[in-house]
Amino acid sequence: MAPSQAGYAPTLEKLLKSLKSQSLDASIEALIFLLKRRQVKGDDCANATARMLLQLVARSQWHDVDELLLKVQRTGARLAQAAPHEPVIGNIVRRVLGLIRDEATEDRNADEFGSESVTDLQSLPVPTRPGANPSRPSLVSIATTAQMSKSMFNLLSVVDTADSPMTGASTPVSQAQTTSAQALRSEVIDGIEEIMDEISQADDQIATFADIQIHPGDYVLVYLPSPAVERFLVKASAKRRFTVLITSLNMPKATGEAPYAALRKKLNAAGVQTINLATNGLMAYMPRVNKVIFGAKAVYQNGGLLVDSGCYIAARAAQEYSKPVIVLSGVYKFCPEDPADGVSSAELGNSSTFVSYADGPAVDAFEVENTVSEYLPPELVDIYLTNLYVSFPGGVDVFEVLLLLTVSIGAPKLEVILLESWPTTISPKKWDILSSSTHEVVDAMGYDAAHIQAQQRTRSFPQSPVGSFGN
Amino acid sequence: MAVEINGAPSGAPAAAPAATPVPASAPTPTPAASAPQLTPAQQKAKAKAEKAARRAQVKDTRIAPAAAAAAAAAAQTGAAGSDAKKGKGKPDASQPQGKPGHAHRPSMSGRRPSIAAPVEKVIRNPIPECFSHIPVARRVPTSQAHKDVHPAVLAVGQQMASFAIKDSIARLEATLLAFRKVIESYETPKGNSLSRHFVPHVLNPQIEYLTECRPMCFSMGNAIRILKTKVNKFDIDTPEEEAKEGLLDSIDLFIRERISLAELLIARNAAELIGEGDVILTYGRHRLVEKTILQAKANGRTFDVSIIDDPYDNGGQDLAKSLERAGIRVFYSPNLGGLRSGVERATNVLLGAEAIFANGSLQAPAGTADIAMAATNAGRKVIALCETINFDRERVAVDALTYNEIDPERNTAESFRLLFDNTRDKYITGVITEFESGTGNSPAQAILAILRKQEDPTIN
Repeated sequence: MAPSQAGYAPTLEKLLKSLKSQSLDASIEALIFLLKRRQVKGDDCANATARMLLQLVARSQWHDVDELLLKVQRTGARLAQAAPHEPVIGNIVRRVLGLIRDEATEDRNADEFGSESVTDLQSLPVPTRPGANPSRPSLVSIATTAQMSKSMFNLLSVVDTADSPMTGASTPVSQAQTTSAQALRSEVIDGIEEIMDEISQADDQIATFADIQIHPGDYVLVYLPSPAVERFLVKASAKRRFTVLITSLNMPKATGEAPYAALRKKLNAAGVQTINLATNGLMAYMPRVNKVIFGAKAVYQNGGLLVDSGCYIAARAAQEYSKPVIVLSGVYKFCPEDPADGVSSAELGNSSTFVSYADGPAVDAFEVENTVSEYLPPELVDIYLTNLYVSFPGGVDVFEVLLLLTVSIGAPKLEVILLESWPTTISPKKWDILSSSTHEVVDAMGYDAAHIQAQQRTRSFPQSPVGSFGN
Repeated sequence: MAVEINGAPSGAPAAAPAATPVPASAPTPTPAASAPQLTPAQQKAKAKAEKAARRAQVKDTRIAPAAAAAAAAAAQTGAAGSDAKKGKGKPDASQPQGKPGHAHRPSMSGRRPSIAAPVEKVIRNPIPECFSHIPVARRVPTSQAHKDVHPAVLAVGQQMASFAIKDSIARLEATLLAFRKVIESYETPKGNSLSRHFVPHVLNPQIEYLTECRPMCFSMGNAIRILKTKVNKFDIDTPEEEAKEGLLDSIDLFIRERISLAELLIARNAAELIGEGDVILTYGRHRLVEKTILQAKANGRTFDVSIIDDPYDNGGQDLAKSLERAGIRVFYSPNLGGLRSGVERATNVLLGAEAIFANGSLQAPAGTADIAMAATNAGRKVIALCETINFDRERVAVDALTYNEIDPERNTAESFRLLFDNTRDKYITGVITEFESGTGNSPAQAILAILRKQEDPTIN
């Protein structure tokens, strides 16, 4: 299954190199294999998924939009299932699906109605996103699993037959001309490339906030620094003198090489002190620390995070001493999903590094639980730094983004359903932001805006913690 | 000699350049050359300035190699040396009467310079500056110890420095047994009395040596204070044999009451708190926790244990095996990553403490505070087990950077670790001690009351 490189273990790098030379199916299988073995993790997942979908769009046989959507959905679902603890894969798949629909709709609008409401809606002002996004805003269109997306898809089709004035601009239908397939293909490929650009630039864009957040003389605790965090620190070191405490729960391997040597060398060269904390608990160091920074694997729609195991105790300890917790995450990691409950969403990993198999009694005796990733509730986070904007708990508006995108795709009914059935309540502030873009849609649907609002308000408001600053 | 006129301990500049890793050789010859022209006052000022400069230099290098500088400095007679040493050795020494012990310094330094050179070659990596105030255990070669240090104490010191004996109570017991040997072999010199001679001339050098090897733990400080009081209480005319007998007896009694019996009582009291079907969460391996769990099992209770281990210690694995042998189901998490699932599952949390401060906060292996906080927030009972000898009535700490120790294995910027952390009393539901008869439970804030009651049993 893996790329045929005799004698060597398959890696993502080799797979990406050999994408052109081997068949599409073989590449997909190879990626699934890598994902299942957790050889592709974290930020690589997003990139790998995007590249694989690019190949799929470019090289597979399809004649119309529906067929393409189905292909992308199926492959996307397989990738997502291969690594259920990497929700970012699903995000990328959803974005690509949204992108395809978007392009298809544009095509048809051009054919049938001329460019109309959809593009207008797309250019709606986005209050919390100060225009930094070079790429299209389409982030998400339909929900998570293949199962779910099917039902949502049906919903779009239903909308298509309804005779609301807005519905003309809805789902692409099967009679999309095959002649336009070629044009669509290149449009979609361009779109995916934009997504890939966004992913690759995200870390640098996040790093632009570095010298705002890090002050001279700070003691910054970074937990298991991801590439984004490293970039962030290096950027800050150009202007600031501070001290970095690097920590992780995992015991450094006894290779003699101190962990994070490369990062430390870079920072030290810039005059930034670094200290590797080899420790289990973090409470002891917190009085000294000024802020805690780590990267998220995913941000859920309630503002909670999926993080590497141990971020929880770092954030917890920081909260105890009222130190700010700063989370770095590209917006492509924002998931329109609710987290499973905190404990069960933790992923358990290989235990053999902790209890040697040579130690027979130990192997028999106890159940080893090596937690690899875990859920971090939003109460423990103070600031989210994304590649587009700065946010805070309660200000993470995946919901808003999602809603705006459903508007842009032109599925008002879906939007209203979203509004009514959204699992978390919408704060009045959020509603104000939303209402500017959605009132007319809601009105057009014959719904009473106040009715939806009231429905939302009757639910108990979650406490909306005040972040360090708004924007 | 000219320089030493001023009487300050800044003397012996000749030794300084030899032993200090600092280029101090340039300024030193000057005073010798120019001394005749200077008035005593000028000389004094000059000596002062030099001393300050030397200190600054030593300090510079110390930011970094605090341990190395101290080691080198301790080995020489220079002022910077003994100052650095005072700064280093004392912070955790809990002996109110410890100061007079410095009186014997001259004799100690008398033989040291000869072996100073090899010591300074051991240049340790620097301790990060922000943690440079925290002491670290270090192995003092037995050849460098004061000549009065008893062989039994030498051995204990080495074991402590290498962490072969690391638990607070184990250290206390080893110290007391070694002191027993010291007392047995003690003979009062002619014209002296045991009650006046023993502490300053015999006991204090032992204590200083132990403190140099590793900062004293609170239990040692408490025990030594009690021992000294005992010695001072002897009448000056008490026959030596009688006094020695009395001291040996009181040490035996102390070990029996405050260590052996205390352990038994705490285990018995705490085991009562483990109910049928409970899941007990614990951190690493603590002697009292292990005893308690085994006791509860022996009482016929059925329960599970969830162990969160410290990967830098791995005691939890041994605990897991020992409990498994007793037929207890064990969940094992190799590091604090398993904190959430561990706390979710647990009904009670049992934690062993290294010491308890006067304000009720707990000093315990690093990571304990994280567990206690998470468990309290999740509404679980957090029970700390601690002998009263580990209570400290004078010191107060609200964070872990006030009183702590650096892991001697990991004391550089490459790899740094503190041994303990500080758990505030609000995260502890109760402390189980051997003292309160009956239930043995008391909130952590009640420590001062317990101590007072212990001192004076007439209080009720």
